[in-house]
Parts: sequence; C-alpha cells; structure tokens
Amino acid sequence: MIKATNVTKKYGGLKALDDFSVDIPEGKIGVLGPNGAGKSTFVKIALGLLTATSGEITVLGEKLTKNTTSIRKRIGYMPEHDCVPDEMTGVEFLIEMGMVSGMSLAGATERTHEILGHLRMGEEKYRLIGEYSGGMRQKVKLAQGLIHAPELIFLDEPTSGLDPNARREMLETINGLTEVSNTKVLLSTHILQDVEMVCDTVIIVKDGKLQMHENVEKIIGEKSNFIQIRVGGPVEDFISELKKKKITAEDDGRVLIVPYKDDSTYDQIIDATVKSNCLLYEMERTTQSMDSVYQEIVE
Amino acid sequence: MKKKAQVSDRFRDFDANLTTRPWIVLGMGLRRFEKFFSSKNKVMMGLVVIIYLWTLAFYVLLGNSEDYPCRDFVDEYKSCVPLNYYGDLGSQAGLRLFIISLAAIASGGMIGNDMANKSLHLYLSRPISRIDYLIARFIPVFLLLLMVTAVPNLMVAIAMWSDTGLETEWITNHKWLFVDILVQGIFYSAAYSIIGLTFSTILKKESNASGAFFLFVYGTSIIAETFFSILTAFEIDGSDGVLLLSVSHLLDMISYAIFDAKYYVMAFGWPWEVDIGGTEVGVVFTFIFAGCCGFMYWMILQMEANK
Repeated sequence: MIKATNVTKKYGGLKALDDFSVDIPEGKIGVLGPNGAGKSTFVKIALGLLTATSGEITVLGEKLTKNTTSIRKRIGYMPEHDCVPDEMTGVEFLIEMGMVSGMSLAGATERTHEILGHLRMGEEKYRLIGEYSGGMRQKVKLAQGLIHAPELIFLDEPTSGLDPNARREMLETINGLTEVSNTKVLLSTHILQDVEMVCDTVIIVKDGKLQMHENVEKIIGEKSNFIQIRVGGPVEDFISELKKKKITAEDDGRVLIVPYKDDSTYDQIIDATVKSNCLLYEMERTTQSMDSVYQEIVE
Repeated sequence: MKKKAQVSDRFRDFDANLTTRPWIVLGMGLRRFEKFFSSKNKVMMGLVVIIYLWTLAFYVLLGNSEDYPCRDFVDEYKSCVPLNYYGDLGSQAGLRLFIISLAAIASGGMIGNDMANKSLHLYLSRPISRIDYLIARFIPVFLLLLMVTAVPNLMVAIAMWSDTGLETEWITNHKWLFVDILVQGIFYSAAYSIIGLTFSTILKKESNASGAFFLFVYGTSIIAETFFSILTAFEIDGSDGVLLLSVSHLLDMISYAIFDAKYYVMAFGWPWEVDIGGTEVGVVFTFIFAGCCGFMYWMILQMEANK
C-alpha cells in the first residue's frame, strides 16, 4: 500500500524522518509514536503535501514525485487539528469538499447524505458547524476525508481532544465506515488503544526512525502470556532454579516476570520455590498489552 | 436486511467520477463568486449598486459622446473618460474609492479565513496544488472587480456609441477602445485582487486585512503625493520617482499608457507631467506583484509544513 525507501525529511537542522524505510501492506495500519516522532511528516509526505529531502515513496503503486497532486484523488485525509469552518453547515461543508475533490454537485450531495447517515447525524447536519460538539466536529472531519470514496484514508490523531465516550464512538465509526466503504486506513496516533481497536498492523516510529513493524494480533499474542511472581527469601537462588528448568525470569524491581508456556509452568515455579527455600507470595498470569510493548520500544 | 445490504453495497462501490484540476479550480472560484451575491454580503452588494448608479448618472446620463472617450484637457494633456473612471471622487467623479473599498471587503477573508480556521489544510489535501488554490481564491475577487471596472466602462462606451446612432464609422474610429477598456479593467482588477489576497494572507483576520488594504492603497498615495508636491515645489530633480511608491499611481501610470495618454498629477492646482520610463514602471510593477504572489505561496507553504 505504501512503500518508503530511505526517506529523510529535514527542517533546517532537524531531521523529522531519518533514513526511514517501510513497506506497509494493505489493511488498517497504525502509525504509533510519541509526539514529534515524525508521524505527521510521514503522512504529509505520503499525501504529496511535503517533499522528502531524500528517498523515495510509493503510495498505492504510484511513485510520488515533486508536486504530486493526482494521488490525492485516491487518498482521503483527516488532519489532527480542528480545521472545519464554523460558518458553514455540515452538509454545505461536505458538498464543498466533495466538489473540491472533483465530484459533481449531484454526486457530492448524494454522497454527503449517505455518509452523514452512516455517521448517524440527523437534522443537526443542517446546523452550522460552529454549533457542533467536539465529537460531531470530528465526525464531519472524518466524513470529508471519505467523501470522494478514496482507496486509502490517512487519519491523523482522530481521537485527539475527545472524551472517553466520544473517543470510543469515533473509533467504532472509523471501523464501521471503513468496513462499508472498503477504504484502507492509515491511522497515525500516540494512543495505543486506538491502534489496538482499529488496526491490523502497527508501525512504531521514534525520532524519525522505524522501530517496529508488526501485526497487532501477533504482538499481543506473543507478548501477552506471562506469569507475575512475588517471592520472599533468596530471590537469586530462585532465579537460578528457574534457569535450571530453562525458564528465564525478568526482575522489574517489584515482581518477577516469567513467560507462560502451559499449565506445567506453574508446577515448575512452585518446584523452584521449594528448592530455593523461598516463600511464594503471589503467582498470577497477566497479559501484556500494546502499552507495554510500546513502552519497551519507546523508552 | 436485504435493503440495508443494498445501501451498503452502493456506498462501498460508489464511483466519485472525479473531474480534472482546471475544472476543480474554476468551480471553486465560481462558487465563491456566487457567494458574494448572498444576502449576507449586503455591504458589498450596496457598493456594486452605488458603482452602477454612479456610472449611470455621471458617465451615461451626463456623458457627452462628442467628448468621448478623450478630449484635450490643457496643453497636451488629455482627459479620458475610461481613465477618469478610476480617478478620485471629487476631482474626476471617479470611482476609485468605491472600487478599492469593494476590493478590500471582498478579498479580506478570502485566504485569511481559510488560514485562521485551518481549512486550508483540507483544501490542499485535495487534488489541487498550492498555485491552484491561489488561483481559485483569485478568481472570485477578480470577477467581482471586473464587474465594476471593465463591465460598466464597456456599458458607457456602448451608450456613447448608441448616442451617435450606432454608426459603424464610430466603431472604426475607436477600434481599439473596447480592447483598451477591457485590458484596463483586467489590469486594475487583477492588481487589486492580488494586493487584497496578499493582505488577507498576511493578517488572516478579515476586518484587519480589509482595513490594511484600504490604508495601504490610499495611505501610500497620500504620502507619495505629499512628497511629490514638496519636491516639485523645491524643483528637485527626480521627484516623479516618489510616485512609484504609491500603488494607485503605479497602476494609473500603466493605465494611462494603455490609452496612450501622458500621465500627470495635480499639484498646486496645475497638472504636472510625470516622466518615468516604461522600464522603470514595469520593473517596479513586476517586483511588487511577483513579490506578492511569491509571498502568498511561501506563507501557505510555511503553514502547511508547520501544521
């Protein structure tokens, strides 16, 4: 879907993207990273809004060169910040955006009402956007990105500034709308739960470099099975006993983390506790979320 | 359920059937132009009505086809109706004040509002370039100004022609008149549109941009005329050059050249010929307007890069 090869983008002396290479497959992709990691820069380069200082980028099979505009017929974009005009109604704004994308008045009008229907916006679509709540403004922002039925939509921090309920509703809307519209998604965010809820694949970016590119389910599957242990007594002896059983324990300062293979792992832990004369205070199977994977990579 | 599935299929398989860039840009421009005539823009519409009524009263009803388009004013100076039209209200019954006011109001929020509410990002995420966007914002202001410059002037010319009984000889005697009027109207409209859009880009706030545009055009004119008068009074050489600092004088110089008339400025109740070479005028004009266009492009580029 998007292939970046050795892409570097410099703003003066600052490198927003540093020799960034990635081959993103089709589907719902999350671009995760802390603020200033280079996510928005990557999205803008992929949109053809910014030109990379060096490197090559291909989007939907089209190689982006300087002043590429045609690719934007096939891409939708939902920017991070609030950028919808207060003085227009939702319907007027979406029709205008459709026509600025190249649609006819009739086509834009039809599509506007269909999308707003999917977004469950009733009579309020005829109200001025200035009177909308934060969640409704986000919906309109999402709708304008989908108005011209793009093959791919870039969502830049779509849940930013929303309360938990509005956030959940927005993510459900993204899932729902992209399913019925057959549009691929590139979601740029620093909120891990958004990626978990929407995306199939995640790429993690930090300091303009690619840190990880993995399937979300695989990450959670691989990293989710752990046993958390708290013991009293000679902890080093206990770890040595586990090592003899080919179990590696990680000490995070508060508890020991041991990978769960199957239920026999519990027996091996108990056995190691007895042999090392330790007292077993706690033994609990835990799941590791994207959160810990992300923390691990970013920190 | 069956009905719902059909709706979803239609939504999924929707063919947007997108048009090409030139049509998108033209469409954007024309839609904005159409908006000028909405009931929200009463001041603008009021100015258009005033301009047409003024033209009707002073140029059509009080106009004389024998003196049209030009008559000798004093010595070798000509007084031309199409030139007076862009002059000052008092001395030449000109409409400059209304035209500039209209340009200031129409262009004030054209780009500035898009930058202030950041919808500029949405426009530029569409299949148009930054230059396309600028052209799309230029079109409505330009068309509106054309409507109050070239169109009424052409109407006056046609009225004068009809006053002579629609003689074909009149047309052959004034064969370049219609072209000159059109070129002059396009020139003023384009120039004021570009200046207005530049102020809109710089100041972002509609009322500030309109005010600044108005003050810039009139302010520089008053300052340049004052200095010109002082330097002329002291018979200092090169006093004409000061007038190049005024946008309205600069535009008038080119406008007079279109009508092949000598440009003069009234000072101490007497017309003073302004003798500045065409190259100098051309260089200053190019510098100002290329600078304005380049500056607008750069501002948009900066905003885009910095979110």
